[in-house]
Parts: sequence; structure tokens; C-alpha cells
Amino acid sequence: MNPTETVLVIGSGIAGMEASLMLSKAGKKVFLVERLPLIGGNVIKTGESFPNMECSTCLVAPIQQEILQDSNIEVLTVSDIISISGKAGDFAISVRKRARYVNIGACLGCGMCYPVCPVTQPNNWEQNLVEKKAIFVECAGSLPNVPVIDPALCLRLNGGEECNLCMEACMFGAIDFSEKEEILEINAGAVIVAAGFETIDAKEIENLGYGKYPGVFTAYELERLLASNGPTEGKLRMRDGETKPGRVAIIHCAGRDKVGYCSNVCCSYSARHAHFMKEKLPEVEIFDIYSDLCLPDKHYQKLNTEIRNGTSSYIYQSDIAKMKIEELEDKLLIQYLNEQEAEVSLEVDMLILTVAIKPAAGLEELADLLEIEIDKYGFIKTAAGEIGSVCTSRSGIFVAGCAEGPKDIPCSVLQSEAAVAQVMRLLES
Amino acid sequence: MSDKIGIYVCECGPNISSKVDIERILEEIAALEDFRDKELIVKQHKLLCSVAGKAFLEEEIKANELTHLICAACSPRDHDSTFKEVCKKAGLNPYMYKIVNIREQCAWVISDKEKATDKAIQYIHAGMDRVVYQQPLIEKQLDSNPDVLVIGGGIAGLQSALTLAGKNRRVFLVEKSAELGGTSIHFQKLLPRQGSDTATRNRKIKEVNKNPYIKVFTSTELSKIVGFLGNFEIVLKNSENDSETELLAGAVVLANGFQQANPQDFEGYNYTDNDEVYSALEIEKMYSETNQITMKSGELPKTVALVHCVGRKEVGYCSKICCNYLIKISDYLQSISSDIEIIDLFQDMCLPEKEDQEYYEELAARVIHSQRVTGTKVAGNKLTYTGINGRETTIEPDMIILAPAIIPAADNVHFANLLNIELHETGFFQEAHIKINPVSTNTDGVFVVGANRGACSISDAVIQAQAAAGKVLTQLIPGQKIIPEVMVSEILEAYCTGCQTCLEVCAYGAIYYDAERGISVVNEAICRGCGNCVGSCPSGSIRTRHFTNPQLYQEVKEALRK
Ligand SMILES: Cc1cc2nc3c(=O)[nH]c(=O)nc-3n(C[C@H](O)[C@H](O)[C@H](O)COP(=O)(O)OP(=O)(O)OC[C@H]3O[C@@H](n4cnc5c(N)ncnc54)[C@H](O)[C@@H]3O)c2cc1C
Ligand SMILES: Cc1cc2nc3c(=O)[nH]c(=O)nc-3n(C[C@H](O)[C@H](O)[C@H](O)COP(=O)(O)OP(=O)(O)OC[C@H]3O[C@@H](n4cnc5c(N)ncnc54)[C@H](O)[C@@H]3O)c2cc1C
Ligand code: SF4
Ligand code: SF4
Ligand code: SF4
Ligand code: SF4
Ligand code: SF4
Repeated sequence: MNPTETVLVIGSGIAGMEASLMLSKAGKKVFLVERLPLIGGNVIKTGESFPNMECSTCLVAPIQQEILQDSNIEVLTVSDIISISGKAGDFAISVRKRARYVNIGACLGCGMCYPVCPVTQPNNWEQNLVEKKAIFVECAGSLPNVPVIDPALCLRLNGGEECNLCMEACMFGAIDFSEKEEILEINAGAVIVAAGFETIDAKEIENLGYGKYPGVFTAYELERLLASNGPTEGKLRMRDGETKPGRVAIIHCAGRDKVGYCSNVCCSYSARHAHFMKEKLPEVEIFDIYSDLCLPDKHYQKLNTEIRNGTSSYIYQSDIAKMKIEELEDKLLIQYLNEQEAEVSLEVDMLILTVAIKPAAGLEELADLLEIEIDKYGFIKTAAGEIGSVCTSRSGIFVAGCAEGPKDIPCSVLQSEAAVAQVMRLLES
Repeated sequence: MSDKIGIYVCECGPNISSKVDIERILEEIAALEDFRDKELIVKQHKLLCSVAGKAFLEEEIKANELTHLICAACSPRDHDSTFKEVCKKAGLNPYMYKIVNIREQCAWVISDKEKATDKAIQYIHAGMDRVVYQQPLIEKQLDSNPDVLVIGGGIAGLQSALTLAGKNRRVFLVEKSAELGGTSIHFQKLLPRQGSDTATRNRKIKEVNKNPYIKVFTSTELSKIVGFLGNFEIVLKNSENDSETELLAGAVVLANGFQQANPQDFEGYNYTDNDEVYSALEIEKMYSETNQITMKSGELPKTVALVHCVGRKEVGYCSKICCNYLIKISDYLQSISSDIEIIDLFQDMCLPEKEDQEYYEELAARVIHSQRVTGTKVAGNKLTYTGINGRETTIEPDMIILAPAIIPAADNVHFANLLNIELHETGFFQEAHIKINPVSTNTDGVFVVGANRGACSISDAVIQAQAAAGKVLTQLIPGQKIIPEVMVSEILEAYCTGCQTCLEVCAYGAIYYDAERGISVVNEAICRGCGNCVGSCPSGSIRTRHFTNPQLYQEVKEALRK
């Protein structure tokens, strides 16, 4: 492995994938490390994506396929970085590749193994709206289309019982209980951190009722309800899986005051949410309760204007901290302060919170390990004294996408292309 | 007669084998004996895409000296490229092979096994009818020039040049004005998240000027350009002495910036140069030149109104940076005098970056009186705003500072024609893909960065500039050849009447008219093989390689039989 020809990319969201493909086309060897069993990051949770309402799978699946078929890119799923030493141009990185217990080369993705597994657990990737087995793929269309066994829950692997059901169901001999974790030593000239983001726990926003009232949903829960490969196959339903909501309110900026910054994408994705809710249930009545609109792109205001012209009623509220949610029989009562700071209320069936974006879990630990600084919000800090930099505080390590701060897909891609430029310059010199 | 067609049916484990009768497929296809005078070799395999499957195919191609290959398997999306690679390894031209999808199109969608088998046979037959009309295509290799032309010496152009230039790559930086720096040259300060001062901007200008691999052309514009990725021929013209410079470059980064709308063009903004009404840029200029912000009388204003979103409704988009710079201007004002009353009339606060909100909240708590409004009007020195309660209020502050919409540079249209790139309905440039290819355009080798793509901050411009550099650095590697698409169109000279209809439909500008021969000609290095021109040609003289009429007709005819 010639370090000047090798790059390590951490995180396989849109930013990590774009960087990997570009570098591979330039002849570099890429190790793409992803801690989950599937690649694609957060974009694949959203059924469609703004501003052009394009199906996200159609947008991303060809990229995922290209990555998986590219012989210059070694995709390491269920893997974590454990150490790094060396310097720009010549890093030595250890990666722990956890056991998947399913042989990627042999598995065909036929899906015969998971229905037979007796163990169930909540599917956190599906926002816990459904369950999955001890052997699972996160959702239909996961790539690589190969299940993984959770060793903590599998009856056999956690040492308890002689269960063999999945293995018996697999006609390809792909299940391998003897698989062990591996430690890979990678020699790379540069590292791109593209570890992405997550959203804050909606329960922390106490006044908005999440976790207390079943009618309150997070934006990601709604994404999964609207997605054709989600738990309801794209039908908009309340938690019972059957009832159709009649009135829905979207509350903007949920948690913005907690994190201290605007999450950049929620005003735009809310417009998309309204559009698809209306498309799926034309009789639904939608309200967007907002205080600011952040539409920072030449495409975004038009989308917002279209939605305001008939799809959703925009209601101004002046202080989100003073909002109150109550349950009245099976309805939710939202109380808020209007323009004149007078208290007004609105009754709905379903409430969607545009929960604020925050750094991905474990980002701080990853930064510690890589010896790079984070900013006061916990995102990766870019080089001091520079503007629009993709360099971190350590030479040879770059950042791209939402690991640096909240942003939409185009800005994530832009940053990743910029990081590639810096990697190419570094490795050329 | 030495032509041999190999037909390999994949079981795809149980995926195909349990839903279609592979035995019967083999029998019926083999029974097409002497199919168009070709010998047939028909076999099945458990898993063609597996390592063993690929080795099997490779061996079959070599041992049987196959001239044509059919893989009856899954969707081309999954494994077309896999089998193409096998062909290459085995020495068969990959354009002599065809994948037939009997999984998604037969096995997985038809529950009746007999019907699924019938359809699979018919599709394989159709594939065979096509493959015999296929022609080997040979990839060409072209030399490419790694140098880059950057147009515009604002922050986006400067950063592009700095990221691109190096010992193997020269950059020609063309600026139409006499100086580098663009709009940001007028700013006294930048935002706190940008380090407040302008040191980085100044440093970039200095670095460009002393970089031995960057040649700066000031007072210069692009006058002519022809060519394609890797090979552009360029003529520059100096506006002072009309001298021309000819150069070659492999790529073009366009960074021609933006302009500010004139508020007087929008309804409700009626004032003259004598009134105390200023655009934010005028204030930036005044402050950086005189270190003061004063009224025409030379006195400090006591009350200043900042007006957001001027013309936002008319242009149809948010200008992204004005909320931020108006906060910066409040900061200027309060540092000049703590006695100035600042009234900030905003419609929405657009603060899309991490530290923006804190900056605003800190100043709002101390010095800015923010008020949310739904509309504003200016008549002379009078400012009328509509509150969110619908009530109108008129005030007469000492000074009114407007944030007019950022609009496309006037020469965007000129560049769109010259470089054959598309404009978005707003007049900014259109990206090749809004989300996943944001700095590329529909012309390979031409990139757009900075405020010419839409309003942006300096930070955005710098990132976009590096992004375009990333594209160039990975696409134009010094010493490496470029391999243009081979499935391109060609115009048959004998039939072309020279009507030039095709020139209009080609979105990539790949067709030119050869006046001497009186025909249109496709430049194969630019053509993407989209096929638009084929349908448009009234004399039917265009064909796209690998998608010729006989190839498609034969396949479709068999697929639709019965
Ligand atoms: C509800 C919602 C809707 C949205 N809708 C849109 C939209 O319609 N249009 C749009 O443009 N944008 C939208 N966005 C924004 C968009 O999702 C992001 O811009 C994009 O996902 C960022 O990509 P990324 O690669 O930076 O990060 P991510 O997508 O978060 O990917 C990061 C990857 O890194 C992995 N990872 C994390 N930590 C580690 C580690 N330590 N080691 C290894 N791997 C790790 C993660 O598992 C993940 O796969 C939306 C955001 C939200 C919250
Ligand atoms: C009042 C105001 C305050 C601002 N304050 C800030 C701030 O504090 N922080 C921040 O991040 N952003 C700020 N901005 C935004 C900032 O100005 C832009 O982000 C930045 O200027 C964009 O850079 P650019 O290189 O794309 O365009 P420009 O700065 O417009 O540069 C374009 C360059 O191209 C040249 N050019 C144009 N046409 C041609 C041609 N045909 N041939 C050759 N050259 C050509 C022009 O002469 C110019 O030099 C502010 C904007 C305004 C209006
Ligand atoms: S062996 Fe484990 S994963 Fe397999 S079926 Fe049994 S419990 Fe499930
Ligand atoms: S049954 Fe076997 S081949 Fe099918 S998905 Fe499960 S592990 Fe893969
Ligand atoms: S994008 Fe909109 S909803 Fe999200 S935090 Fe910003 S202003 Fe609030
Ligand atoms: S940035 Fe602010 S002032 Fe400018 S158009 Fe957008 S919302 Fe209006
Ligand atoms: S095939 Fe498409 S790109 Fe090629 S010349 Fe015709 S219209 Fe242009």
C-alpha cells in the first residue's frame, strides 16, 4: 500500500461517497469506513429530497452501486477507527472490522434468513416505528444488500441456545457464526472525516410533547412514514398504523434555541413534507408554525412559495419556548403566541417536529482519536484563520459534509469535492 | 462461418431458477440451431456474478472463441459493468455482449412459471437478434492539457487559481477590471466566523500575485473559446490596448460574480441620490474608504434603519448573505458610536451558518432594535413599513440602508452562449445536477463557482472554488490521457442535407456545421451519445453507435412478437 496513493474516508454518507468516487477515478485506492452495516448515510432515510422532490433512492442507489462495484474502493462496513499515527502523507490507521456473521461474498440478499429468526428488537434505523430481527437488514433496498447478525441478541451468538434457524434457511451457506472481528492496518496519505450528523433527542424539547403524546412525531419518523420502503410503505398513518391524520402541524425550529444555531435544512424539507403529505392524503389540512424562514439557495424560496399557495397554511409564532402542547381526547392542542404576542391555539391530530441537527454520536471520541479539534457545538473545527476551509487542525486530515455543521446535500457534496482537491494537492506534493 | 454466440443463463441462486424453467430455456434457445448462420453455445450457471461465475465466463469466451455474448441474468444496473469487465479480460470487445434481464423483468414479476419462462425465452431471443447487429467499438485516447483558465478575480476566482496552480499545472486568471479582489475588496470587515478582519482576503490576492504558476491578466476578457475537456483553444483580449493573447487549457472555471439590484427598480422604492438612502455596498465602500459612516452633510446619523429583503419577492429567492451583512453593518455602526439608534426591519432572519445566530443575538440584545415586518417602502427620506399586525408605520430616520437582492451578472447570458452552458430561470448558472454535481455544468470541463451560481457568502465561494478544483484535479491528471465516450453519434455525409436542425437540439454543443462540405458534423469528443439529434434529423442521417436503428429495431421486433 503506497500511502501517497491511498486515502481513508470515514463515513459513507453522500459526502463520503462522493469523495471516494472522485478519488478512485483519479486512480487512488480508497478505504471507506462505515460503522453501520449499510452505506448511504442519512439521505437514504428520506423518501424524496428537496428542492426537486427527486426520489432519494434513485439519486443515491446508482452512487452506492458504483461504490460497491469499484475495485479501487474498499468498503468496510460495521467498522470503526481505533487508532491513528504518523503524519500527513503517511498515516498508519487501525480499523476494527466487526463480525457481520454473514459472508458478503456469498450472500445474495434473498432475505430468507430473517423471517425465521425468533428474536425481535426495535429497528432504530426505522426510528423504532417497526421491529427487526436479530439478523436483519435495516430497510428494503439497503446496500450492500446483506444482513448482519446482532451478536448481543442472537440466541446462538450470545451463548445461550443452539438456534440455527437462519443458517438452515440460507441456501447459499452465507451465514458464518465463526466470523471474528478483524483489525486492519491501513497506510494512507490523507484522511477525510465525513461522519455526518444526527438530530437531538426530541424528548429534550420538553414543551413540545414528544414521547408524551403519541401524536407527536419527529421529522425523521415522518420521513420513514412517507418513504415507499418504510414501515407503512409510504402511507401516512398515525402510530396505530391505520388512522389517517386529518390535521397536521409542522413546528419549525424545534430545539434551535437549545443548540444555538439554525439547522439550515428544516424549512426546506418541511415544504417537501407538506407536499408529499398532501399528495398522499389530499384531504389532510397542514399548518406550518414558524418564526423564521431560512431558504438560502436560488431554488428554495420558490418551493416554499408553492407550498404556501394552497398546500400548507403558514402561521407565525413569536416564542417557541412559550409554546404548549396538550392532549384533548385524541387530539393535540397547540398553544402559541401570535404576532401580537396573544395566546392562540390550534387543534391537530398529528404534530411534526423539525428536530435540530447536532453532531453524530461519537464524533467527539472520533475527533479525540484523530487528534483534531471540535468547535463549541461539537462539530469538527476547520483550520483557524481560514475562510471556507476543509482542513482540520491536523495536517492531512480534512472534513466534509455535516460533520462540519448542518447543511443540505449540495453543500455537503461541495465540501467533499473541496476536500478531495486538498487531498489531491497533498498527495501530489 | 466462425461466428459463435455464447448464451449463458444465470440461476441467480433460487432467484431465477425457482421462478423460470431454465431447462426449457436452454432447450428452446439451443433449438434455434443455425440462428442467422451462427453457432450457438447455450449453458447455465449458478451465479454468474460470483468469482467462480466470472472465471467460468472468461474461460468460456476464450475456449469457445466466442464472437458474441449474451448473459441472461439480472438488471443491467446490477451487473452490466461486471460482465463488460469479464469481456475485456477475456479479449472480447465489450460492445459485442448484451445483458438480458430475466430476473426483474421475468422471474420477479410473473407468478406463472410457464409464462415467465416464455417471456424469458423471448427476451433472450430479442437480445440475440440485437447482438448480431452490434459492432465492436474501440476506445480512443486523447492527450489533454492540465492547465486551467479561470475567469473572474473575485474571491471565487482567486481561490480556484490558488487550489489549482502547481508545478504541473498553470492557471491563467482573467479579470476584467484593473484589480483583483472582486466585490469583497470593498469590505472593511468580514463576519466574526470569518475571522472578522480581511487578512485572509488580502493574503489570497498576494499569494496569487506571487505564485509562479498563475498568470494574471487584468483588464482582460475572454473573447473566443472552442474545444472540449482537455483541449480548449482560447483567445483573450485586453480592453486597454486591444491586444490579443492565445492560449490552450484543459478546463475553464467561470467565477464572474454577481451584481446588486438597483432598489429603484422595485416598486415602492422612490428616492434620489440626494436622499439619505444607501445600498449596503455603498456603506461598505464608504466605511472602508473613510473609516466613517456619515450622512451627506458629513455628520454621524443618530438613527439608522436597516431594510432587509429589498426586491426578494420580485426576484423570487432569498439572497442568503444580506441578513448577515446587515448585522455586520450594525456592528460597524455601534463601533463608530454607541449613540446611533439602529432599527432593523427584517422579514425573515436567514442565518444559515453555525455562528451566525449567536452573532445576531449578541448584537440584538445590546444595540439592534429588530422588528419583523411584512413590507417596506421608501419615499425620499421616509420609510414606511407594514408590521406583522398589518399596521403601517412611517418613520424618518437619518439614514436608510437597503439590502437589495443579489442578481446575476449582466454577462451571464454572454457566457452561457460562449461556453454553451445553461442558465437557471433566475439568470444564475444551472448546475449539472442541483444536488450531486453542483459546480459542474452541462459542458464537460466548464465549471461555475461563486456568486454566479446564486447568492453566496465568501465562505461558500471559497468552498465552491475548491470543489471545482477537486473536479479538475481528479479529471485532468497531468500526463494522463482522456478517454471520450465511444457510444456517440455520427452524421452520414451522404444523407445529411445540411439543414442544421440537429445543431439546435444538441444540449452539449457537440455538432458544428461544415460550410465547405455543406453538412453538419458531430465532434465526438464532446458528444455524450444522448441521441437527441437522431430523432430530430429529417433526413435520418444521424445514428448513435451501439444504438443504431437496426440494432434497436431487431431487438424490439422480437421482444414484441405475438
Ligand atoms: C429530516 C431531514 C431531511 C432532510 N432532507 C433533505 C433534502 O430533502 N434535501 C437535502 O439536500 N438535504 C436534506 N437533508 C440534509 C441531508 O440529510 C444532509 O445534507 C446529508 O445527509 C449530509 O450527508 P453527510 O454525508 O455529511 O452525512 P450523513 O448522511 O449523516 O452520513 C454520515 C455517515 O457516517 C457514518 N458515521 C458516523 N460516525 C462514524 C464513525 N465514527 N465511524 C464510521 N462511520 C461513521 C454514519 O453512519 C453515516 O453513514 C435533510 C436532513 C434531515 C435531518
Ligand atoms: C454589501 C455586501 C456585504 C457583504 N459582506 C460579506 C461578508 O461580510 N462576508 C461574506 O462572506 N460575504 C459577504 N458578502 C458576499 C460577498 O460579496 C460574495 O460572497 C463574494 O463577493 C462572491 O465572490 P465572487 O468571486 O463569486 O464574486 P465577485 O466578488 O463579484 O467577483 C467577481 C469578479 O469577476 C470579475 N468579472 C466579472 N465579469 C467578468 C468577465 N466577463 N471577465 C473577467 N472578469 C470578470 C469581476 O470584475 C470581479 O472581480 C457581502 C456582499 C455584499 C453585497
Ligand atoms: S441463530 Fe441467531 S440470528 Fe440466526 S435465527 Fe437464531 S437467533 Fe436469529
Ligand atoms: S438467506 Fe443467506 S443469501 Fe439470503 S439474505 Fe440471508 S444470508 Fe443472504
Ligand atoms: S432551517 Fe428553518 S426550521 Fe430549521 S432551524 Fe433554521 S429557521 Fe428553523
Ligand atoms: S438573506 Fe435575509 S435579507 Fe437577504 S433576502 Fe434572505 S431573508 Fe432577506
Ligand atoms: S447524440 Fe446528443 S450529444 Fe451527441 S451530437 Fe447528438 S444531440 Fe449532441
